[in-house]
Order: sequence, then structure tokens, then C-alpha cells
Amino acid sequence: MNESQHVSSQFDEDMARLRVRVSRMGGLVETQISAAMNAYSSGEVAVVKGIVETDHEINELEKAIDDDCAHVIARRQPTASDLRLVLGISKIVTDLERMGDEAKKIAKGVRRIHENGQDLAQFGAGVRHMAEAVLGMARRSLDAFARLDTGQAAGVIDADHEVDVEFKSIIRQLITHMMEDPRTITTAIDIITIARAIERIGDHAKNVSEQVVYVVEGRDIRHTKEKTA
Amino acid sequence: MPAQIVRAALLALLTACVAAPLGVFVAPWAGWLLFCGGLILQMAFHFRNLARLDRWSRAPDVDASLEGKGAWDGIFGRLYRHEKDLRRQIADRDAEIARIIAAIQALNDGVILLDPDNRIVFCNTMVEEQLGLSLRTDEGLPIVNLIRRPEFVDYLGGGDFTRPLTLRFEHGEERALFIVVIPYAGNRRLMHVKDVTQTDRLDRMRRDFVANVSHELRTPLTVLSGFLETLGEIEVDARTRGRYLTLMAEQARRMENIVQDLLTLSSIESAPPPGDEVVDMARLVDKLRRDAEALSGGRHTVSVESDGLADLRGVEPELASAFGNLVSNAVRYTPAGGTIRIAWKTSPDGAEFAVEDTGIGIDAKHIPRLTERFYRVDRGRSREAGGTGLGLAIVKHALNRHQARLEIRSDPGKGSRFTAKFPPGRLARP
Repeated sequence: MNESQHVSSQFDEDMARLRVRVSRMGGLVETQISAAMNAYSSGEVAVVKGIVETDHEINELEKAIDDDCAHVIARRQPTASDLRLVLGISKIVTDLERMGDEAKKIAKGVRRIHENGQDLAQFGAGVRHMAEAVLGMARRSLDAFARLDTGQAAGVIDADHEVDVEFKSIIRQLITHMMEDPRTITTAIDIITIARAIERIGDHAKNVSEQVVYVVEGRDIRHTKEKTA
Repeated sequence: MPAQIVRAALLALLTACVAAPLGVFVAPWAGWLLFCGGLILQMAFHFRNLARLDRWSRAPDVDASLEGKGAWDGIFGRLYRHEKDLRRQIADRDAEIARIIAAIQALNDGVILLDPDNRIVFCNTMVEEQLGLSLRTDEGLPIVNLIRRPEFVDYLGGGDFTRPLTLRFEHGEERALFIVVIPYAGNRRLMHVKDVTQTDRLDRMRRDFVANVSHELRTPLTVLSGFLETLGEIEVDARTRGRYLTLMAEQARRMENIVQDLLTLSSIESAPPPGDEVVDMARLVDKLRRDAEALSGGRHTVSVESDGLADLRGVEPELASAFGNLVSNAVRYTPAGGTIRIAWKTSPDGAEFAVEDTGIGIDAKHIPRLTERFYRVDRGRSREAGGTGLGLAIVKHALNRHQARLEIRSDPGKGSRFTAKFPPGRLARP
């Protein structure tokens, strides 16, 4: 009795540490996204270097957390909800790492536009609005993970649909611009890359939320229609 | 205790006294039987009370059923009083704790209590609002799982709390939070969170203001001194000289405009509250239209819409300067061929003066800062158009003094609408 209690509290400590590390990684990713957005709205390319550097740290954290997950499974042999939590974390960090990559893509896109000496003010508002929404989704999905709150997770999954709609409308708008004035094509393509990256961040935030639902309820709601049921 | 022993002994003796004659006169076995019967009765009585005490001790409750008989009466009574006292003390203490919590809730600043592992023990409603926490769901969670900003995590993990941390949130609603961590009771921590958005903004505005004034005045001054130097050192022909002088006069005028606007601004700021002399709006609007047409030089269509139902009460020069700035901005930032609409209308909740144009518009992110002194959306364009960077600051101050609000709506590329909304108290109905 005493022995098993000791082991289980050790396990709880391991899990708590693991979750703190995931949150740290999440915090870095959120900062990356917001720095990339700032670069986009201000045209300030100096931050791009910082974003690339932080991305290394995120990659290291992903590897370390994955390693920890493997260790916990091997040493503690968790079952049921504990096992789901470990599996969920190992999937969540993959999504977080990809979100960081997309943020890097945004920053690089901004730098490219800036180097070509083009102005993106014209398309600013739409993309910025979508980015704000996506940043909110990323934040809420990580909050949902910290609280293991499926309600909040469901909210993020719903919001992804709106982001998709917004993305499509931005693309439509850009196509119109390109048809009207072919000189805008270079910039437009760069902006499409950026918008695409933002939209992908939204998808990854949705994936994180789906993992939260899986961890809590044991239901796999990926690739299903009735997600908030 | 001795009293109970004496009592039990007396009862036993009484039983013996009754049983002894029976044993002597009838039969010994009958005497013993009676004696044993008596003792058993006495024991049954004790067991009943013991059972009652046993029942009560499993679920201690303050109620009248806790009442003993005979020797048990005193014991039950004391237990009853003890339990009652205990409950009153707990209730008092609960009330005390509730009052302390209410005091923390009443604070205007955010407070979070953390345990040695940085898990949330308590947070007040203010901080729930500031940081999006909720005590109901977040109690016991490590705070770094919810507030994930790397600078905060490093600050909390670093353990050096001699310096406060300022967290700035740029997305969504712009905010600045000032965080101080105070260790208490060993290694527990109290986090004090103060919203410094306002002071942060004021600080930035003041810094920007000094830098901007210097910059705005230095630019024309550089041009002036450059020409002066040239004219002093080399001989130039009369034509070039004339051109230089024109340019110098232009720069001097620009400096004059800036100083004039600064003076206007400071006189508006330091003037006593505006009185309520009646300002003839029909005349003012007409004058604004003529000014707009003169400034436009026929490049724009200027239309006026006025219901003429009310006049304003206030200081005419201030209002004229505020409205004039709005109109001249509209003319300056609207390409040739555009339309400028000036409107003066009353409504049940006051009146509004609006200037609408079909100009270049303003990106939404600039709008909150537009009335800051020298804030410019596009430096080059603004100076080219002859602005000092102080126009909207004057408008805002003049309107504030008349309890009016300035509302700005704009669609980049399509046009803007600046509306000054006056409360009913500022109206004079003829």
C-alpha cells in the first residue's frame, strides 16, 4: 500500500513537471506567433533573427519532452487516463513545434516582402484580423490543456471554421488584385504564403484542442464531423 | 467521578438491602436472583446511555437528543456545551476569513497567492479579469501553465524579486501589467498585479512629445541655418537669393505654425472651464464651408447638411478651431474630385457635428493614437499636406472641454468620418 502510494505520487510529480514543460513550450510558441505578427504589422524585420533563434529552443524542447514521455511510459507504465495524457502530450508537442515553424515562415515572408521594397498596408487589415483570431485560438487551446477543459477546447475547434472562411476570403481578394494589376503578383504570392501559415497555425491549435478532448474523455474526435457533441 | 462511584455503590447496596431479607426469610436463591436482577437493570441503564454516546460520537451534532439520565447527565451536558462552543468558534473564524477575503476582493489591484510549488492557492476577481484566470477552475494549477509568457516564467523561476516585471500585451486590447512577487510565510508567494496601461501610455506620450517637438522644430531650423550659412559665405545672384528667401520664409512659417498650435493647445488646456455663451451654428457651419471651398480651390465638392434646430453653448474660438481642423484635414487628405460633407444635426441624446470625406482613410491600428500630439500615420504625407501634427490634439482637447466626444470611423481607401458628439446640456434651442 505504502509502496504503491509512493510510486504513484512520484508519477504525479513526473506528470506535473511534464505539463509545466509543455506550457513553457506553448508560451514560447505564442510569443513567436505574436512577434511574427508584429513584424507583419510594423514591417520591422529586425525581430526575424530573434524568431529564428527561439525556434531552435522550441525544437530542443520538443525533443526533450518527447524523450520524457518515452521515459514515463517505460518506467511507470501508466494506464487509462494517465496513459492518454502522456500520449496526448507527445502529440501536442508535435503540433506546437509546427506552429513555431509556421511563425518562422510568417517572419521570413515579411522579410522577403520588405527586401523587395513592397508595401503590404493594402492587405494589412484582413490578414491581421485572421492572425489575431488564430493567436487567440492558440492561447485558448493551451489554456484548455492546462485546465483539461473540454468546453474551451470545443470553442477552439469551432473557431477554426471561421478562420478557414476568412482565409478563403483573403485569397479571393488577392486573386482579384492580381487580375486587376499583375504587378502585385509577387507581393500577393508572399502574402498568400503568410496567410496560409497563419491558417495552418489555426489548424494546429485545433489539433491541440482535439488532443485535450482525447486526454479527458478518451474519445478520438479527429476527422469526425460532430466535434462538439 | 467519585460521586458516580458512590452513587453506583449506593444503588448496589440498596439492591442488597432488598435482596438480603428475601434470601434470609424465603430462600437464598431468591435473594441472589433479586440481587443479580437489580445489578443487571443498573448495567442495562448504563449500556443504554453508552450506546447513545456511541451513536452521537459517530456524527457529533448539536441537538437536544444529546441528553443523559442520572450519572450521565453531567457528561452529556459538558459535551453538548463543548460542541456548541467549538461550532461558534468555527463560525466566527469563518466569518473572519470571509471578511479578509472580501478585503482582498475589494482591492483595486490583482492578488494571487501561490504555494511553494507556484500553484495557485487564491486569486481575487481583479486578477481574474487582468490575466484571464478563474479561481473555480484554476485553483491548484501551476501558474506557469496558465501565464506562459517566457519573461514571466523566467522571472518567477529566477527567484530574484527585487525588481518588478512589466508585462505588455499587444494583441487584442493593448495592456501593460506591473507585477511584483512578495515572498511570505516561508516560501509561499504573493503576486501583486497592477494595471499600468494608462500611466504606461502617458509615459510614452510624454517621451514622444518631447522628442517630437524637438524634431519638428529642428527640421525647419536646419534648413534655415543651412541657407543662412550659404548666403553668408558665397555670393549668389539676385534670382537664387530670392528663391532661397522664399524657401526660408516657408520654413519660418512652418515653425510659426507649430509654435502657434502649441500655444493654442496650452491655452486650451490651461483656460478656465468654457462658459455658455451661445454660438451661432448656422453662421459657423457656413463659414466652415467657405473655408473648405477656399482651401480646396475647387478640387472637391463640399456639401453642407444642417437641421438648424439648435445652437451650441461654449467658447466660439475653441469650437471654431476644433471644427476648422476637422474640415481642413478632410480637404487635405481627400484626393481631387472627392466629396466633403459637413453635417450638424440634433438628436434626442444631444447633437453631433460630423465631417465625412471620401479620402485616403486611416488604418484601424492608428485610430486610437490619432489624437496624440505629433502622432502621424505617414510623416512624409502629413508634412507635405502642411500639417503640424497637432490639429487633432487641439480638436480633442477643445471638445473634451465642452463635454463632447470625438468618434472616428474610417475605411482605408474609402474615406473617414469624424464625429463630435455633444451632450444635451451643451445645446441652446432657439
